[in-house]
Amino acid sequence: MANLPSMMNAIDVERVDGIDVVTLRGEHDLSTATDVSRRIALALESASGLAIDLSETTFIDSAVLRVLITAQERANEQGAGFAIAVADSSGHGVHRLLTLTGLDSKLSTQPSRADAIAAASAP
Amino acid sequence: METVSERVEIEIAAAAPGVPLVRHAIRGLLSGLDVPDDVIADIALAVTEACTNAVVHAYPNGGGTINVTASHADGHLEVAVRDHGGGIAPRVDTPGLGVGLPVIAAIARSVEIGSPHDGGTEVRMHFGLGGAAG
Repeated sequence: MANLPSMMNAIDVERVDGIDVVTLRGEHDLSTATDVSRRIALALESASGLAIDLSETTFIDSAVLRVLITAQERANEQGAGFAIAVADSSGHGVHRLLTLTGLDSKLSTQPSRADAIAAASAP
Repeated sequence: METVSERVEIEIAAAAPGVPLVRHAIRGLLSGLDVPDDVIADIALAVTEACTNAVVHAYPNGGGTINVTASHADGHLEVAVRDHGGGIAPRVDTPGLGVGLPVIAAIARSVEIGSPHDGGTEVRMHFGLGGAAG
């Protein structure tokens, strides 16, 4: 896992076998949720599937969680593959928010980036 | 037993970029104390949700400020997030999920939401610093 200073964050998008993989690094909250949403929307315009990688995400809040839920709904409507990687390396706050909201059972999560890409490739 | 007390006061513009600033200030306050990392992470999440609520709901027309005070003593932390706006009325275009307050309630030992006599809304949260059950 990258050792990003706590205030650093990044949103990276790459295409892997027709699947767009959006990687959120560092901390994401209301201050980045609009950018995350925009990058995901762009990905869903052209990709046959979308994997969101939270394995290097150290923090998310409910504003970002809403973006993830909206992305899953949109992918389902389009018939596009969709999965979110929530790994052991994801920050405590990521796991905690999913558990506290009960949304860990509603979001299509996989335990690794590779698993998420595979799941998003086979909707 | 020795009583150690410290207080932090922060004022931010009621806008999204201020939310991580408050979170990092709270972490900074706790980093010098013997507080488990998971407890710090939980408190950071609760404070973030309180600030996000204030940013999203207090000033529908923009502008405004949010004041955060945090103080700890004897293994307890109190954080108050105060806006001076129109309260936490629901809005149809909210960027949240409506889970902010339930998340805060699940993490904090107690939470009080008040309407100060001079306007606005104050969310006052109490946390234990001793451990997961704290």
